Amino acid sequence: MNSERIEEILKNIGNNDVPADVHKIAEDVSNDFSRNLTQSRQPRYIVLGDYIMKSRFTKLAAAAAVIILVVLVGLPFVGNKGPGVVLADVLAKVEQAQAFMYKMKMNMTGNMQPGAPSGATDMAGTILISNEYGMKMDMDMNTVVNDASQTMRQLMYILPEEKKIYMIMPEQKQYIQMEFDESLLERIKKQSNDPRDMLKQILNSKYTNIGKSEIDGVEVEGFETTDPALASGMMEDVKVILWVDRKTELPVREEMHYKMNEQMQIEGELYDFQWYVQVNADEFKPVIPQDYTTILPGGYKLPSANEEGAIEGLRFCEQLLGRYPKKIDMMNLMNEIVAIKDVNNPTEAALKLKEVIRDDMNNLPEEEQAKKIMDVMRPVQSLGMFYMALVQDKKEPVYYGESVEPEDAGAILLRWKISDDRYRIIFGDLKTMDVSAEELAELETLQPK
Amino acid sequence: MNLSQQAEIFERARTKYTKFLVSVLWKLTGDRELFTEAMQYALLGMWQHVGKLNGKKAHAYIYRIALSANSKAWRNRIGRNGELNPNHIDCQENPDEKPDRDELATLVRREICQLPTKQAKAIVMRYLEQQDYQTIAGKLSCTEASVRSHVSKAMATLKNKLAALALQEL
Repeated sequence: MNSERIEEILKNIGNNDVPADVHKIAEDVSNDFSRNLTQSRQPRYIVLGDYIMKSRFTKLAAAAAVIILVVLVGLPFVGNKGPGVVLADVLAKVEQAQAFMYKMKMNMTGNMQPGAPSGATDMAGTILISNEYGMKMDMDMNTVVNDASQTMRQLMYILPEEKKIYMIMPEQKQYIQMEFDESLLERIKKQSNDPRDMLKQILNSKYTNIGKSEIDGVEVEGFETTDPALASGMMEDVKVILWVDRKTELPVREEMHYKMNEQMQIEGELYDFQWYVQVNADEFKPVIPQDYTTILPGGYKLPSANEEGAIEGLRFCEQLLGRYPKKIDMMNLMNEIVAIKDVNNPTEAALKLKEVIRDDMNNLPEEEQAKKIMDVMRPVQSLGMFYMALVQDKKEPVYYGESVEPEDAGAILLRWKISDDRYRIIFGDLKTMDVSAEELAELETLQPK
Repeated sequence: MNLSQQAEIFERARTKYTKFLVSVLWKLTGDRELFTEAMQYALLGMWQHVGKLNGKKAHAYIYRIALSANSKAWRNRIGRNGELNPNHIDCQENPDEKPDRDELATLVRREICQLPTKQAKAIVMRYLEQQDYQTIAGKLSCTEASVRSHVSKAMATLKNKLAALALQEL
């Protein structure tokens, strides 16, 4: 190419007028930035939230988190066998399937964090599940923020034997490898293994038969539940409808409607179930070409969903916030932590953390920034996941973060059921104890108001 | 400077330079997502260096902020391997343009973001803003000969880079 040609291209670029929608994007971005300054007047300290929202790598990592959330929310379904007639028969049928597949589509609107731009994410894809090999998801995601749209294909493998999750993004030539421990393995097995657990959970909840209908010429019968445990305690409004083929007694479609206040809504559908499919081991082997790079160098260990991790998370939050978080369901918890950037009088720990992150971040490549953010947030995630597990397992957790302070050593901070008449307690000083139902009742009369 | 003063200067600069930033960043990115990211970086750059936007050299400094923001946005897009994701190319500024022209424009934009600052400034002023050499020299506080030199070096770099890319494709 000669200089004249380059000159011509440059001149053409120079002659381009700015489209009207780009002016609008600029105006929105500029006003948002200015508004944030006005609100916080502490832009130097906008660290966690900024990095989470701005970094391309953390955006991808956040997308990974969304997928995991979808796995935990969308395919959930744990619990013990409960009463039920038709659904129990359905469960018996689908439990015979060693491998099966289905399609999923989901739409998420709103924002996952305060201050984050509102947007919408559409996902659609296919999920293949094998009792022997694990799970494989092939998803296309389209996210729209500020009228700008971004598409991404993600392949996710959950491999219980290896205790690993792989997320591969072919267009970006990137991947994430995550490891999980025994506590999470059990949960992932339960949650992602199959929609049979969905049935178990519906059977274990208060569900209603909503009658007959027809889907694609198939006569179906619907079952509806609004049990919050189906969304792992992460959403406040839950409605799940399962449609079952009346003739084959196999699920045909699952419709999910989740709402987290006005902040975030998820509408989803699992459909096109194929209950008995042949699979081979190769289908569950992630293929990562050599020129792909990892977003999280050295891999990432997913947070533990156990009591120890939860206590560590409470301690971390106390240091960061100067008190315990008000709520510990995952969404509210993450929102509360990310909101420290807007706090007028941050704790010393929060300031120190911000300084450390900011200073370190400046010296790290973006991939490692993402990893650092995820590492920093690990105790918080552990806490949220532990609570999620308690809700899912119907252990009747009660959390008193709004009234119990770290100084209230003897007050119950979190308690849950461990057997018919025994409860486990984490006190205000983060010590633990098992008590009887009577002892618990007595302790709860002494709770600070 | 306290925060209120800093915010006041920033707001003044934002009002004054937004139109300029939009025009330059759009020409340098030609892609809505890239543009949004570059705009965010530019605003952040303005805030971080707001003191320099209050003096005589403010106009020269805003170029530096814009080019730095553009480079960061492109760096995120290009990635470590230096390869551009074709799915991210969104050159819709003129639907009548031929696809190869769009692709070439994207390649040229990508290479501009990797030029040394002075060369990038000179190219932007000369071609994207179509200013004459004398005006550019005044804005950059250097001689007209220096500007010509920067433009010439930049053109040579672009030519070599694009030729190398063409060879790779063969």
